[in-house]
Amino acid sequence: MAELPAAGLVDLGRRDYQACHRLQLALVERRRRGGAEDDLFLLTEHPPVFTLGRRGGQENLVVAAEELARRGIGLHRVERGGDITYHGPGQLVLYPILHLGQAGLRVAEYVGRLEELMLQLAAGCGLAVGRDHRNRGVWVGDRKLGSVGVAVRHGVTYHGLALNIDLDLTPFSWVNPCGLHGVAMTSLSRELGRQVAPAEVKKALVALLPAVFHREVNLLSGGLPHDAACFSPCSGDACHSSTEVR
Amino acid sequence: MKGFDALLFGEELRYSEDHEWVSTSGETFQVGVSDYAQDQMGDIVYVELPEVGQTFAKGEQFGTLESVKAVSELYLPVGGEIVSVNPALADSPEQINSDPYGSWLVTIKPSDPEELERLLSVAAYRQLLQG
Repeated sequence: MAELPAAGLVDLGRRDYQACHRLQLALVERRRRGGAEDDLFLLTEHPPVFTLGRRGGQENLVVAAEELARRGIGLHRVERGGDITYHGPGQLVLYPILHLGQAGLRVAEYVGRLEELMLQLAAGCGLAVGRDHRNRGVWVGDRKLGSVGVAVRHGVTYHGLALNIDLDLTPFSWVNPCGLHGVAMTSLSRELGRQVAPAEVKKALVALLPAVFHREVNLLSGGLPHDAACFSPCSGDACHSSTEVR
Repeated sequence: MKGFDALLFGEELRYSEDHEWVSTSGETFQVGVSDYAQDQMGDIVYVELPEVGQTFAKGEQFGTLESVKAVSELYLPVGGEIVSVNPALADSPEQINSDPYGSWLVTIKPSDPEELERLLSVAAYRQLLQG
């Protein structure tokens, strides 16, 4: 396979989940019409929010949805694989918008690379973590440090990975994360016994991406590509694909 | 990933650019995913298909296949009404991996049977995959 052109990377900072979701759908459409140089990694973290995978998982929410509403925490059903999960400040989220076929990647290999990225990030912080092929993601013993949940539209990926750096893990206790019972979530800070700065891990992630995805990755300091806005995120069925669950 | 030479093709089928196949039997069309598509996705663990009686336009999403925490969307290559859904796939979605051309997903009554002619022939589909 010919060498892939450089992919872009945009650091969105802290962004609302639904705004990010709409952005992803727009960028998937843009990538679908574009080429391999339009592959893009979105880096973000979200204000507190719960999301359900394609197959649901609301039965794995162990507090009342009203309780979440009272706390101002959203609950959304989205297209990705996997069950219920939580996102919050201090968790690093990566949404790669990549054409798998053109990158010569099978879905399982792609999921493996997302895990590889998290394994190497943890190793770089001095923490040994592992995989579990029945329960994807990265684990410290039986504690889950990072999760993967992916969707593929016309061959283009969206959704991605979430790695717990330094966050309040309490909201995870309101669910059976990923639909698994008796699984505790953990964070880099908790495992290392020191406060790990998300910015530090973010920097390491940007440095690791080229090796893991076998291509150059350029940080787009000017933000999103100027033509990204041309693909209206609110056309067609896009607006209905993340539905508030209450 | 399977090399191109290892991929299987149904010679009599028509294909979409999203790697679905269509076969005709009388007035209805069967729809499935190609060997390339199943190989791309890896072990399929869950199939989400529409209800009988639903209608979809050409290219509209009609279901999903889920593998290893990844959901791949399916698009109907020809618009029409769903007249049956493969009942075997709910319990054994892995059939799609082992026999992609035997594992039809849905049967449709096409709204415009002529749309079939606009799909790819096996030769054109091979060419698409060879890039």
